Formats: sequence, structure tokens, C-alpha cells
Amino acid sequence: MDIPELAFLTTWIAASVRLTGPLLLASLGELISERAGVLNVGIEGTILLGALAAYLGAIWSGSPWIGALAAAGIGILVNAFLAWMYVIVKASQVVVGIIFNVLAMGIASYAFRTIMGDVPRIQTAPMMPEISIPGLKELPLIGPALFGQSVMFYITILIALGTGWLMFRTRFGLNLRAVGEYPKAAAAAGINVVRMRIIAVLACGLGGGLAGAYFVLVQIGLFRDTIVQGRGFIALGIVILARWNPYLAILAAFGFASMDALALSLQLFDLPLPTQALVALPYLLTVLAVSGVFGRSRNPAALMIPYHADR
Amino acid sequence: MRFSLEKRDTPLVSGWSIVAMSVLAVLIGMALGGILFLPFEASPWEGYQSLIGNAFFSKRGFGYTLVTATPLMMVGFGTIVAWRCGFIFLGFEGCLLIGAMGGTMVGLGALEGGILSSTAPALVIAIALAWGATLGALWAGLVGELKIRFGGNEVLIALMMNFLAIYLVQYLVAGPWRVVGDMPQTERLPKDLWLPYIVSGTRLHAGFLVAIASGVVIWVVMAKSRAGFEMIASGLNPRSARYGGIQVAIRQRQAALIAGGLAGLAGAITIYGVHHRLLDGLSDGTGFVGIVTALLGRMSIPGTAIASVLYGGLSVGGDAMQRQTGLPSSIVLIVQASIVLLLLATEVLRTHRIVFSRKKKI
Repeated sequence: MDIPELAFLTTWIAASVRLTGPLLLASLGELISERAGVLNVGIEGTILLGALAAYLGAIWSGSPWIGALAAAGIGILVNAFLAWMYVIVKASQVVVGIIFNVLAMGIASYAFRTIMGDVPRIQTAPMMPEISIPGLKELPLIGPALFGQSVMFYITILIALGTGWLMFRTRFGLNLRAVGEYPKAAAAAGINVVRMRIIAVLACGLGGGLAGAYFVLVQIGLFRDTIVQGRGFIALGIVILARWNPYLAILAAFGFASMDALALSLQLFDLPLPTQALVALPYLLTVLAVSGVFGRSRNPAALMIPYHADR
Repeated sequence: MRFSLEKRDTPLVSGWSIVAMSVLAVLIGMALGGILFLPFEASPWEGYQSLIGNAFFSKRGFGYTLVTATPLMMVGFGTIVAWRCGFIFLGFEGCLLIGAMGGTMVGLGALEGGILSSTAPALVIAIALAWGATLGALWAGLVGELKIRFGGNEVLIALMMNFLAIYLVQYLVAGPWRVVGDMPQTERLPKDLWLPYIVSGTRLHAGFLVAIASGVVIWVVMAKSRAGFEMIASGLNPRSARYGGIQVAIRQRQAALIAGGLAGLAGAITIYGVHHRLLDGLSDGTGFVGIVTALLGRMSIPGTAIASVLYGGLSVGGDAMQRQTGLPSSIVLIVQASIVLLLLATEVLRTHRIVFSRKKKI
């Protein structure tokens, strides 16, 4: 391999890892929620409101950590509302999610304009610190990708591993999966289905809110109401591609991110392959994964089905 | 004081209770929106006057309202067919785009040097709309096939396929179909290929009539035909439908084709009636809002048509209000969404009543 190729690969991998973080956070939240039987399409809106809270929190306090905390809080708060609609009111999950995204868009752009005025001064939020390990960072290929990322990235990976442990190694995780597969049996075994599902949706709020914070405090430093651009839906795709498994979600999120990163850097070259084909590729894989054509990537059996204790 | 929900012995099902809940939801939603005007030192009264006046009481504005309502309605009708048949389809956004793409494909073929360049414009439009509808139907039909034959989850498949459609259109307008210029878009279709405007002084195009006609057809199919009856039966309870001799899989396939066809047709109509070219950013959530209007219309054809006009009117009025008074149109998004969420939330009041009590229940 010659030098330019190596340099290209190194930057590509590093860029992919950078884009992976928020996708992974959002998909972990969504994964927990779906494992409990709640499809939360409203994660798109949660990410947006999380991003706004992170931006405002960070510029007001001067600390990105306060921003991330605000994003987590707002994410959980708005998902408390969603949980109420999904679990207590038992409204159609997809409809609530869709319309919540409209609401979040309205709230985000209204609040941003009201608070910042008609022509917002472009004020950059303080960013999360980067961790850089001298020596290791200079390694070819994986050096910058693994040893020169924002601290938020390492936290995200820890959260992913923690989610996997929680899901497969604890009683809580077992109960959570039971609630998403066969709530009736879970209830008969003494699990509080309603409480479990509410906790799962709140966890999704935490993931979505932090994903929003990631966009603002690690990647962009600014807020715009177009900041999310369908990435909440990408999270849905990642969950499918990862077969509802938190460990695989790391790979799936990296897969989506790497195609995005490749498309970005290939725009500089004149290639016969359209960049849209690259970006679309992970979606195509997702469709195939969930289509049932190639073996079964089975979703939790009770996904999207509201639980009625008396039926 | 604590309150709790207690199940009613019999749910409220009267028409009056539905009307009362709906009015309540709209009023609370509007009141909420009214509060949002206050930081801008505008009275809610003026805000709403500008909004509603522009949307429903000016000729030009109402024309726009109906133009906006046209694709919403058709997606709503498609939702009725698919969802009542038990096919929870969320891929209308993709179908709209694919239909728009198909329509444009035919239109571009009618330009100078194209294979349709000597065909009469009216015929070209007819072919374009039919081709858009066909592609939309196939797009949704593919989702249906994956669900029925392979047991895939139609909600997730359709959501992901929306993105395939978005990127396909993006590729076409940025690549092979791109016209010289700054914007990623195709060449503008010549005026004789536009859908005619049906009311002078407005932008209301003939596509609105197509939407109304499609509503009538769908109403007849769903309410009066054997196919419609079997579709609804399949959706209510597939197992008993099967026992009753209904071929549920076939009915669901048909429902998928009809739903996708309607959305594809709506996409082609949007090209020939509004934009007159294919462009990036055509996907703006219409395919999702249409589902919501069907729900607001309680899965009935006339209800969906009315809900589409009201919802579309609020959007049009919001934009006009922002232009005239500088009040942010995002207030309208909040009002629209609040009303829908309140409607969903008050649903619980029909099956439960709120009980206030001072003591904690044991």
C-alpha cells in the first residue's frame, strides 16, 4: 500500500469513528426501548431537543458537561411524555412517534428563535475535550481513529458495553426482554410490564438526548433545527441491522457512519460510483436484514403492541 | 389531592362524545399556540386572524390550502386502505418520491428529441400520472410481498425503504437528470405539460379533482364492494377472516398496491401541478402527515379529506403569517402536533374516567 492510499484510509476510518458516536448513542436508546416492545419513532425529535438543550446549556454555563447533562435531562423528560402516550394511554406507537417529531421540530425552532432573537449571533458552544494518547495516536490506520477521539466517544463505547451487559447478564435485562417478547407471561411471572416499558422509553430518552448533545458538543458546536436530518431513523436501521444486540450495534453504527464518511470524502474525487449509492447501501442492507428473505432477523415479538393488563 | 384513572363500565362511543373530545383538543391546542404568540408582543387574536384569514378566507390562500391538502388526502386514503386491511404501511414518503420520479421520467421523455415528443400533451400527462401510480404501487407492493411471503416487518421495511427512495431521487437530480445550473434539479417541464389551473387567480390545479375522484372510488371500494369488505375483515381479525374463506394474503397484497398507487399518483401530481420539475428536498414529511390526517379523520374518507384541508390550511396559513407579521411559523407546527396528541390522549377519557380522591388507594 502506498502512502496516499494509507493516508486516505487512515482519515476515512477516523472520520467514520467520529460519525459513529451519536448514531450509536441513539440506537442504544432505541434498542432498549424496542427490546421492551416499544417502537419509539419519536427518537428523531428527542435527539433534536437534546441538541438544543446541549447547546443552550453549554453556552449559558460555559461547560460542555452541563450541556450534556441538560441534554440527558431533556431527553428523559420528553420521553416521560412519550412513555405516558405509549404505555399508559396505549396510543398507536408509530402515530405518536411521527407527530411527536413534528412537535419537537416546532418546539426546537420556536424556542431557539425566541431565546436567541431574530438573527442569532453565531456563538460556538464549548466543545468536549479530546483525549489524545501520544505515540499510539501516530499509529497508521487505527491510530487517530482509536486514540485521538473526543472523550464523549469513549463514554459512548462504555455505555454500549454496559448496555450489552445489562441486557444479557442481569435479571433486569432478562425481564426487559421478556416484556418485549411476551408481556403476558412476563406479567404472570411477576414482572411489572408497565413499569419496565416506561423505564425502557426513559432510557431511550437518555440515549437520544445524549446523541443530540454529541452532535452539538463534539461535531458541530452550533445548533440548527435541521441538525438531526433523519439520523433518528438511521438509529432505527442500526437497531435492525444489529439484530437488537447492543454489541453488534457498535459495528452497525460504524457501518452506517463509514459509508457517510466515504461519501463525504469521495465527493472530492471524480468517481464512476455515485455517492448516493454508498450512503444508500446500509439502508439496503437493513431492508434485506429485516425482510426475512435471508434467514430471520426477528424483532421482539411484542414490538408495537400496547400491553393491556385486562385483555 | 390525587387523581387516578378508573375504567368506565361502558366506553363512551356516541358521536357527541367524539365531537366534544375533538373540539376540546382543538381549543386546548389553539390556546396553547395563543400563549406562544405572547413573547413576540403580538396578540393571539391577530396571529390567528392572519393565519386563518390567509388559509381559508382569501381566494388565493384557500387555493394554496387545497393544493397542499391534495397529496395529504391521497396519502390519507391510501392509509385507510392499507391500515384497515392490517397492513401498517409507513412508506408513503417513499411512494410519493418514486411516483414523482416516474412522472418526471415520462415528462422528460416528452421533451424535444424524446420518444414522446410528438405525443399530445394531455396524453403525456395521463401516461405520466399512470406511470407514477404504477411505480408507487410496485414500491409498496414490494413491502407487502416481503411481509406476506417472508414474514418481514412492514413498518421497519417501509421506513428504511423511504431512504432508498430519497437517495435515488437525490442521485437522479444530481446526476443523470440534472439540468445545467446551481440547483440539483431537472429541466422544467414546458407549460403545456402542466396540470391546468382550475380556478383563475389561484394555483389550484386539476390534481385536486383527481384526489377527490380517488376518494370517491376508494369509498365505493371500501364501503360497497366485496373486496373492501374482505380487506376490512382481514384487518380486524386475520384468523377469523381466513376461517370465513377470505384470502387474507391476496387482500393485503391488493391493499398494498392500492395504497402505494395512490401515493405514487400523488407524487406525480405534485410534479405536474406544483413544481413542474423533479428536485432535491421534495420529501418534506407529506407521506407521514397524510397518515396523521387519516387518523384525525377517524379512518373515514370524508373525515380524512376534511382533516387534510384543515391541516394543510394551518401549514399554508402559518407560512403566510410568518411572511406578513414576522411571527414564527413553528408555532403552527406546535399547534398541529398538540391537537393530534391531545386527540390521542383524550381517547383514554372515553374508556376511563378521572377519579379525584384525597386518600391514597390501598
